[in-house]
Amino acid sequence: MTVEMLPTPNVTPDAAPAIELVGAARWYGNVVAVNDVSFSLGAGVTGLLGPNGAGKTTLLHMLAGFLAPSAGTVQVLGRSPHRDPSLYRQIGLVPERESVYPFLTGFEYVRFNARLQGMKNADLAARAAIARVGLEDAADRAIGTYSKGMRQRAKVAGALVHDPQVLLLDEPFNGMDPRQRLAMMDLLGEMAVAGRTILFSSHILEEVERIGTEILVMVAGRLAASGDFRAIRALMTDRPHTITIHSSDNRKLATTLMAEPAVFAVALQERALSVQTAHLSAFRRIIATASRTAGVRLIEVVPADESLESVFDYLVRR
Amino acid sequence: MSATNPVAAGKPSGSIYDLGYRHYEGKRRGRLFAAWSLYVDSLRGIWGFGRPMSAKAAPFIIAGLYSFFAVIQLAFSSVISQSIKNGTATDIFTYGNYFSRLGFFLILFCVAQAPEVVCRDQRYQVLPLYFTRAMRRVDYALARLASLSTALFVALMVPMVALFVGDVLMGADAFAAMGTELPRALPAIPANLLTALSMASISLALSSYSPRRAYSAIGLLAYFLLMEAVPAIIYSVGQQAGWTWADKLVLTTPITSLGGATNWFFGIPLTSEFPSTLGADAYLVACVASVCLFTAVLLFRYRRISA
Amino acid sequence: MTGVSMSASVSVLPEIVRITFRQLLGRRRTLLLLLLAALPVLLAVIFRLAGEIDVHSYTRRVFDTVSMTIVLPLAAVLFGTGAFGAETDEGTILYLLAKPVPRWIIVAAKALAAAMLTVALTVASVFLAGVVELLPAGADGLSATEAQVGAMIVGSLCYVALFVPLSLFTRRALVIGIGYTLVWEGALSNLLPGIANLSIRQYALGAADAFFQLHTDPARLSPMTAFTLAAVLVVAAFALATWRLMRFELPGGTD
Repeated sequence: MTVEMLPTPNVTPDAAPAIELVGAARWYGNVVAVNDVSFSLGAGVTGLLGPNGAGKTTLLHMLAGFLAPSAGTVQVLGRSPHRDPSLYRQIGLVPERESVYPFLTGFEYVRFNARLQGMKNADLAARAAIARVGLEDAADRAIGTYSKGMRQRAKVAGALVHDPQVLLLDEPFNGMDPRQRLAMMDLLGEMAVAGRTILFSSHILEEVERIGTEILVMVAGRLAASGDFRAIRALMTDRPHTITIHSSDNRKLATTLMAEPAVFAVALQERALSVQTAHLSAFRRIIATASRTAGVRLIEVVPADESLESVFDYLVRR
Repeated sequence: MSATNPVAAGKPSGSIYDLGYRHYEGKRRGRLFAAWSLYVDSLRGIWGFGRPMSAKAAPFIIAGLYSFFAVIQLAFSSVISQSIKNGTATDIFTYGNYFSRLGFFLILFCVAQAPEVVCRDQRYQVLPLYFTRAMRRVDYALARLASLSTALFVALMVPMVALFVGDVLMGADAFAAMGTELPRALPAIPANLLTALSMASISLALSSYSPRRAYSAIGLLAYFLLMEAVPAIIYSVGQQAGWTWADKLVLTTPITSLGGATNWFFGIPLTSEFPSTLGADAYLVACVASVCLFTAVLLFRYRRISA
Repeated sequence: MTGVSMSASVSVLPEIVRITFRQLLGRRRTLLLLLLAALPVLLAVIFRLAGEIDVHSYTRRVFDTVSMTIVLPLAAVLFGTGAFGAETDEGTILYLLAKPVPRWIIVAAKALAAAMLTVALTVASVFLAGVVELLPAGADGLSATEAQVGAMIVGSLCYVALFVPLSLFTRRALVIGIGYTLVWEGALSNLLPGIANLSIRQYALGAADAFFQLHTDPARLSPMTAFTLAAVLVVAAFALATWRLMRFELPGGTD
């Protein structure tokens, strides 16, 4: 009895976006987990941001074909992943919570994945994947003995052993120390450059800044923002920017700045001056002249909330 | 809200802000209250209260099935009283033989619910939350034991009540019937109490050795079934082979011994399946001993468990 | 990029079978199961020591009450619900499903693993006990042993076939399975004879009759009926499990 593996779908590059959602929604009774989300992704790394309960995992499960959308369409590589197992040849999934068979060694686990994907050289592929995530040293130990970060890496290795076109990761940096995180980010970056489409979810914001600038922000099931995070930030012009300034004489500078129309609030703190402005570009122009006028020397000018955190906070509170 | 950069804000120092954190100055109830709370919570959990509907299915269905036959007998009490007068009624249920006949439902009850009682805490490793508070390990074990015993006692007594009502209705004068019926029914209370304690202690002692419900359930079921079947088999073989020591083996059976002990409470002689060499009092002693033994095992387990 | 095979990859099924074996055979669990299976053998030894070599007496006492009623259902419930048990318990089923493997292969592999283990355990138990007790009883003993082995095989396949889909439909598969053997097959069968058509125990005993009349509580099904019903059960259960797995959706909930 021969067992036919499901055929690989034809994927022509540049044909259609690798991931495309149109009006996708998912509800459970009265709870709407994903609410009218539309976006399309091509090659590259995209971060899916959102607080807990925002619907990130639900969205990823829809993309992975484990949930049917209650409304709208979800397409991966031009096909609906729901109930289409052959598509898994092109998809790699790293779920968040699920633990892995603890009695297998890292290598055995990755090789198991490779074999189930129908790879002829499962051993070789497994070794390569293990090397890519940096688990060579621990590859022959049981996963049950791994630390959390190592387990994550093992899961990632298992998900990319068959070199999928699309990689979906749910909170992949959980439990990783900074060095491992960097290594993982580099890996994802490499894959993106090679033309893969990578979507990862996170609520830890520092990494997302580092790994890529494309983000999708989900809040309470809705897509609150998408695109380059700095551009998103700039779009929110109705929100005041806060700049922290260290200077030789904060009080004097404060007085001078208050006279500027671009500035609408100043606050004196212990050793810094906090300035709020609604027009960042205008402020940039006047800060140098203002300090010269005041005869104050600028030591440090820090836009205090350029980070994703404030973007996030703002979107959450909106 | 502005995101302030703490490093830029001033010299590196730390202080704890009083956010209005409220200290609790009230009365602190001690061990007894803690144990009582656990007991109540555990008892509710066994019957599925405070849990989703699906958790109520198993205990209520099983206990319902156990009581079912008594209720049927109650419903048909008039017909049955006729058969008794005619002398054709043979297989009616009485207080004394009810558990012996239908005890296996309660085995199912224990197998279904005992793992729920003790395995969850181990599985999710929340025992430290209990033991670092007023409650001692002993309290925890005893509270759990008391809860399952109570649950079983309730399940055991429902059919007794049904039988009582049925017997009362069979007579012409209800109040007079109650007068005569009550003394006959009273031994059911201590008998069922012993039964409840015995089954609960065995179930929890054995279930507490595995954090996974499935293994506990299977292990417990295996114990009940095997300890019923095997001693009986060896005894019956021994009878033919002339092994006199085999009589004692029947004392080790959990359910059958409880049947014998129940007979002692009701003062009725043992049925033929029991060896003739031992009286009902021997089974009473065996059951009490089993309660002590398995309670000790349970306490030992929770003393040694790492938390 | 290492080669990705497109066509017939027979190694997938044994791969899943192998991993299921490892899942099902933890150290403590295996030990306890071996003890369980050894019990009938021990009892057979005791029978010999008592000088008791009556095929029917042994059958009635040991095979019927211990092997058929306890060892077989317990082993089958443990392996049958355990096949998908770890996956549904811990959610690792995602790893199996997120692969381009046809669902029926997953079901077949899991069920096969569980069935093989159950058959191995129960047949070994019954066979060894038979060697001790029945073979010395002559030709009758040999046939009786064959019959018991046959009953164990059919019983194992049927029970596992029942419990594997059950574990895919409910989280309380274990309790329901135990309830089935205790209540349905145990007590109710004695009260309502018609149940024999829906009782795996009767399928097994009926199948055994093809070899030897074991005369355990009168097996009410002829061998032909028993085999047919067993086959129907296995096929139906397999289809049901595959259907369920195809329609698998993750439980809802917030992030």
